[in-house]
Amino acid sequence: MRCIIRKKTVKRMAEFLMCVIMPLILSGCWDRIEVNDLAIVVATGLDKTEEGEIELSVQIVNPKSMGSKSEGGQGGGKQNTVEKTTGKTIFDARSKLQEKVSRKLFWGHNHIIFIGKKLAEEGIRKHLDFFSRHPFTRLRASVFMTNEKPDELLKIEPDLERSSAEVAKDLAMLKVGLSVTAKDLLDMLSGEKRGAALPMIQIEREPPNTEGLKIYGAAIFNNGKMTDQLDDKEVRGLLWIRDEIDTASVTINPEEGEELISFHIFDATSKLIPSIENGNWKIKIEIVSEDDIVENETKLDMMNPKIIEKLKEQLEKQIVERVKLALEIVQKEMKVDVLGFEEAFHRHYPDEWRKANWEEVFPEIEVEVVSEVKIRRPGRSTAPQGVPENEVIGN
Amino acid sequence: MIEKGRISTGQMVILLYPTVIATAILLVPGITGKFAGNDMWLSPIWASLAGCITILIMAQLHNRFPRQTIIQYSEEIIGKIPGKLIGFIILFFFFHSNGLVLREYGEFVVGNFLPTTPLVVVIGSMIFVSGLAVRGGIEVMARSAQVFVPIVLFLFILIVILLIPDLEPANLLPFFEKGLIPSLKGAIVPTTWFLQLFAITFILPVLKKKEGGMKWGMITVFLIMVTLVLSNLFTMLLFGKLTPTFTYPIMEAARYISIADFIQHLESIVMAIWVSGTFIKISVFYYVIAVGTAQLLNLQDYRPIVFPIGGLLAVMGLWTAPNLQQIQHFLITTMPFYAVIVQIILPLLLLIAAVIFKKNTKKIN
Amino acid sequence: MMNEMGKETEGFTSKIKLRKSKKSQKKAVKSLQSPQEQELLSQSLEDNENKFRSIYKDCSDVVIRSFYIGGKDNAILIYIEGLSNTQEVDDSVLSPLMESSGEGNDQVKSLINKKIPVTSVKEVKTVAECISEISSGNPVIVADNQKTGLAVGLAQYEKRSIDEPQAETVVRGPREGFVEALSVNNSMLRRRIRSPKLKLKSMKAGKYTETKIVIAYLEGVADPTLIEEITNRVSKIDVDGIMDSGVLEEFIEDDPYSPFPQFLETERPDVVTANLLEGRAAILVDGSPFSIIAPITIYSLLQASEDYYSRFLIGTAIRWLRYVFLLVSLLLPSLYVAILTFHQEMIPTTLMITVAAAREQIPFPALVEVLMMEIAFEALREAGIRLPKQVGSAVSIVGALIIGEAAVSAGIVSAPMVIVVAITGVASFTIPRYSASITFRMLRFPMIFLAGTLGLLGVMLGIILIIVHLASLRSFGVPYLSPMAPMKFNEIKDVLVRAPWWKMNTRPHFTGEYNKSRQADNQRPQPSNGGDE
Repeated sequence: MRCIIRKKTVKRMAEFLMCVIMPLILSGCWDRIEVNDLAIVVATGLDKTEEGEIELSVQIVNPKSMGSKSEGGQGGGKQNTVEKTTGKTIFDARSKLQEKVSRKLFWGHNHIIFIGKKLAEEGIRKHLDFFSRHPFTRLRASVFMTNEKPDELLKIEPDLERSSAEVAKDLAMLKVGLSVTAKDLLDMLSGEKRGAALPMIQIEREPPNTEGLKIYGAAIFNNGKMTDQLDDKEVRGLLWIRDEIDTASVTINPEEGEELISFHIFDATSKLIPSIENGNWKIKIEIVSEDDIVENETKLDMMNPKIIEKLKEQLEKQIVERVKLALEIVQKEMKVDVLGFEEAFHRHYPDEWRKANWEEVFPEIEVEVVSEVKIRRPGRSTAPQGVPENEVIGN
Repeated sequence: MIEKGRISTGQMVILLYPTVIATAILLVPGITGKFAGNDMWLSPIWASLAGCITILIMAQLHNRFPRQTIIQYSEEIIGKIPGKLIGFIILFFFFHSNGLVLREYGEFVVGNFLPTTPLVVVIGSMIFVSGLAVRGGIEVMARSAQVFVPIVLFLFILIVILLIPDLEPANLLPFFEKGLIPSLKGAIVPTTWFLQLFAITFILPVLKKKEGGMKWGMITVFLIMVTLVLSNLFTMLLFGKLTPTFTYPIMEAARYISIADFIQHLESIVMAIWVSGTFIKISVFYYVIAVGTAQLLNLQDYRPIVFPIGGLLAVMGLWTAPNLQQIQHFLITTMPFYAVIVQIILPLLLLIAAVIFKKNTKKIN
Repeated sequence: MMNEMGKETEGFTSKIKLRKSKKSQKKAVKSLQSPQEQELLSQSLEDNENKFRSIYKDCSDVVIRSFYIGGKDNAILIYIEGLSNTQEVDDSVLSPLMESSGEGNDQVKSLINKKIPVTSVKEVKTVAECISEISSGNPVIVADNQKTGLAVGLAQYEKRSIDEPQAETVVRGPREGFVEALSVNNSMLRRRIRSPKLKLKSMKAGKYTETKIVIAYLEGVADPTLIEEITNRVSKIDVDGIMDSGVLEEFIEDDPYSPFPQFLETERPDVVTANLLEGRAAILVDGSPFSIIAPITIYSLLQASEDYYSRFLIGTAIRWLRYVFLLVSLLLPSLYVAILTFHQEMIPTTLMITVAAAREQIPFPALVEVLMMEIAFEALREAGIRLPKQVGSAVSIVGALIIGEAAVSAGIVSAPMVIVVAITGVASFTIPRYSASITFRMLRFPMIFLAGTLGLLGVMLGIILIIVHLASLRSFGVPYLSPMAPMKFNEIKDVLVRAPWWKMNTRPHFTGEYNKSRQADNQRPQPSNGGDE
């Protein structure tokens, strides 16, 4: 009897194996793809051709060029390959691109999106959908605007990094200028916010015979179309308002002379406080920053509270000026709300906001900028270095 | 009794929690966001009332028929044929719901991770695994849940913590922009998820202690509500007005995580762990169908019919809707009424009938 | 000794009774004994001698020695060479008997009392009893005109000296391990637990081997129903022989098809002691240095005895390290396959490029590569165990260093893969029990297949399968995953952490329920620190 049971269980187990394991092995691996068969896209460029088609360019890593040393000499060749095609939509272009590339294009590691000027001027909104719908794209990819051809940027072979994609990614992470991810861009374009700003990037050829990238200024989008450009200085002001300053340096000229003092701002926050009084739309920008002294060309003693107090006032004025500069241009000239004013009003005054015509209201908003600076530490030195003691002021 | 295992009230909570949460956490933020906008975090609070009502009705019925499930006592309350009919309706509802859940699961996995894998493989493998758990009985399911739920919770908390740097509290404002109505509207769809706690009728009879079933049922409702509020809140804080534009906002959030440029794109891990929660959910429904069918047909044991039912479930999952859009449409339009009728009105009528006819179980064993 | 022997026979006869009642299935045991073995000893020495000679026909190691008691009464002494202490037999049995003055027909009782200066002497009545005594190494004396014989407890046989256990070494803790001889093992336990509450219940199994089996437990701590269940299961065994506790294990475990061990095997008497104190039972098998402990949970397999001897913070940390590496040994290769072939976006970009570069020249798919390397690793491990010690080290060096290095430089496997396989291998050795570590090592192969077909989803389904199986597993009624599932909050003190000894006031949930309190409360050391003077 036991024997029969055993036979039955053995038969059962065999059936079980047949039913469960075999289909798994036989039907194979539907979505399996070996790394050797992937073309890893690390950066994408988008532009429009004269004929109105989408021009898609991609930077693909060439793993062969980085073979380990032990394999000896098999490596070599360029580290990246740039491919380019045109198509009706991005995915259409991608399909055409696939015809040229022997490996499966893989967008999972795409960190960078460069947008060309022509596309930007004709509107970017509809093209961004691809990046939020395709299963393998990243919403955290950084987006840049460029006045040059995107594929030219992709072809750059920078000195320090492996590819231009990495340069752009690291620049975005350092937050020297605006830093906008695909999600941020979608967020700015969607809903009632009409304005958007993208960092501009360009090829840097200084010193000669080297190639690199440089973030310079920002592009302003109104209703998904690029309308204006800001230069670097104005962008700094914009960053202050948008509370996106991470670290910054501010230099002031305390004595109207040649000598300057530089401050390193390591923590800065800004707040938008909207208010509506008697139909007057007002906004107060409150900026609080903490600073360290990092360079002192003057003969002032950095340990003297009175001097520090004076410096503080000058610093505050300097920051307010920077912000006003950006405000002047963005609010009064461009009349595009990339500052986040509308959101602030919507959140605090939803009823008034709904009734008002924002495009008319925006340039008329009264802006008050308040800056508070806290000078925290004098740095490693107290009195100015290399100055005889009797010449130090305020000692 | 068909089920010989006994579980504790704590195990009941840990079994019911993922039964509601598993799919709710995926779909609810997107759907409530569509209706409730900024106030979507409020919606689960309203919706949880439905859960409380279900638990209340089921607990009342349970008090009258302590060792029986709804399939059994409906026969005692209103007679054999109508009772069987009600049992059949309830079982069919669970059968249909489980088909939907399987399809949601399949669509999610195929759509996001394994685009070319056939749906039938994804659904079939899950049915096989849950079938084994169901055959193991309620104790095995409860113990498996005790292993997986802490992992799922840990994952949830981890996502929340990793996302904190990217949150924007201002996204919450303005509160009640259009009054309470949007948040109430947003509560209609999550209601159907809370109603799934109806499955408690199959768990109450196998509790070790008879008391405390209702109390712990309510605690379950509370825990689910808190989880849904948190998940709605965090997707809102992260994506703001973009929230309803994503199919699976929580997954999009996991995708967005990036710490130190090294820990990133966690969605596959999130998916894998989420699958363990879904496994519990599918198993509980599966168990309800298997045990319920056995009771309906007066079988001695439910184990032999587990895998045949699994085959039917696979078919149900594949045929229930042509695509995800249809499922969403069904969940938003038909499901609330469907669920309320089967999971609140039917048992409520039974309860009223039982009170009027003063029906109780004959002997308490 | 005498006491114990008596108990043994008692156990044995009761087993036969039980088996008789257990219907036809148990016929085999009865038929093995020839009818003459059932008989009582006869009055005539010649009859007896003939009987023994026919029973021990062609047994060259059995010595039957005739002699005269006090120079007149005929008698024979039967013993097996090498099983008895012949020196002692000469000095304390033969010489006093032969030289006795012969005061008439002494009865056996008086012979024992007067003539034989040996602690353990016993009367035997049947031939079967005689045989069992002789096989245990106790010489039997049968004299003319006596209805009963005498078994003299002078068994002594060659045994391995007590050694440090090979499979469970510790840095801190006792270094003695069980040996093959059951009596030595019993004595080691008795030395550790002096209370008479330590019961060593003796049984026998195996038609031919008649292997002694001892069930050790603490009366009043272990649940009597557990002991009864173990006794029942052991007494049902009807096989030719039990070679090792591993054989016994397969006959008495709960789920014979499970890949997971349902007994804790140990060579260490201190581990057995600790488990007995927690209300578990240990089964010792003669001829095997491994005792098996039941009931257990999966966590018992992951606890090393040293956890309890080192500082509790360190013990906790080490325990967690082990948990992590348990997962690594089970999952790392499958995760590698899943991520590399399904979820490439998960790997950080720079790492991805490095891996892609390393894999550029590899002809095999990642799945095949992993399988190849893992199987090769298992082969190396197995060869390392089987080969003689002198050759073993050569194999490990050739295998690990040369093959790995050569395979990478030849471009057959990628370097990251070698790292993965190496880490997996090392990880599996952190599990303190061999039976558990080999289980997890073998389970990783199906996991690799699942990962190769469905990616991370496959891995997760595999994990769910394992957990569901573990959740349905019981070891003598104790859920295998407890105290995590079902959850017992105050039991976690010995799972997630190793609580300090003065905190572990209660015995573990399932096994210690019979007698919960383990020690007095509030035993935290509270030194009175005086001033600095």
